[in-house]
Amino acid sequence: MQIFLLVLFGFLSGIIGGMGMGGGTLLVPLLSFLDLEQKTIQAINLVSFIPMCCVALGFHAKNKLIKKSGIWWIIIPALIAAVGGAFCADIAGNKILRLCFAVFLIGVGIWQLIVAIKFIVDSKKQGNLKVECNPALTDSILPLDKSQKNK
Amino acid sequence: MDIPAKNKWILVIFSALSGFINGFLGGGGGVIVVALLLTVVKLNQKNAQATALLVILPLTVVSAVVYLIRGSVDWVPTLWVTLGVVVGGILGALLLSKLKSNVAKIIFAVVLIAGGIKMLF
Repeated sequence: MQIFLLVLFGFLSGIIGGMGMGGGTLLVPLLSFLDLEQKTIQAINLVSFIPMCCVALGFHAKNKLIKKSGIWWIIIPALIAAVGGAFCADIAGNKILRLCFAVFLIGVGIWQLIVAIKFIVDSKKQGNLKVECNPALTDSILPLDKSQKNK
Repeated sequence: MDIPAKNKWILVIFSALSGFINGFLGGGGGVIVVALLLTVVKLNQKNAQATALLVILPLTVVSAVVYLIRGSVDWVPTLWVTLGVVVGGILGALLLSKLKSNVAKIIFAVVLIAGGIKMLF
């Protein structure tokens, strides 16, 4: 049962991760349902992400979705800070890590929710504007106007 | 892609934050990187999500090496999870090119909040 859940949780978070939506943020809370220490969960998350990321990157490169220009401004500082973060995690206890992850998840979740709802509302507003200014509708009205003028 | 000097500093600061979070929490940095690529670099949603993976990969490798050196990796559960993650990752990558709805993002956000609350108690 434990093996089935490990594979299932990995599969679900892999789908989200492959889409670049943050699979790790899903895998960690899912694995917390199992009898595993927080540091072990985080290590599983990091190691399992590497092959999935390579595979997903291959697909995205094929679809020409990756934009490399200026990316070093993000990678280099993030890389240095990641090493520091990993050593800090080693010093911190499992309870503190779990609490920090929980707070982070709630924060990210609320933020994602706001962004997604805002995007839907904006899209609907733009959709309404498009209908108001739709050239197809204007074209269909114009011949009618011309014919009215002729009369 | 020309990035103004002011924006480069924003990138450096928030990239460092995402890197620290990724190393400290064993993940989660990608969410910040996607936001940076969307708002500062001005990539569209799909490009931002795909490019974020390229940013997160080296961070994850160095963080994983530190966890490995410090003896936090338990290989048996790691290999089973990895099997699921790779299969799911392929499916997710295929789905990204067909992703149209924000409903999935709302569901994902709710799941994150629920997961966070569950982890608190």
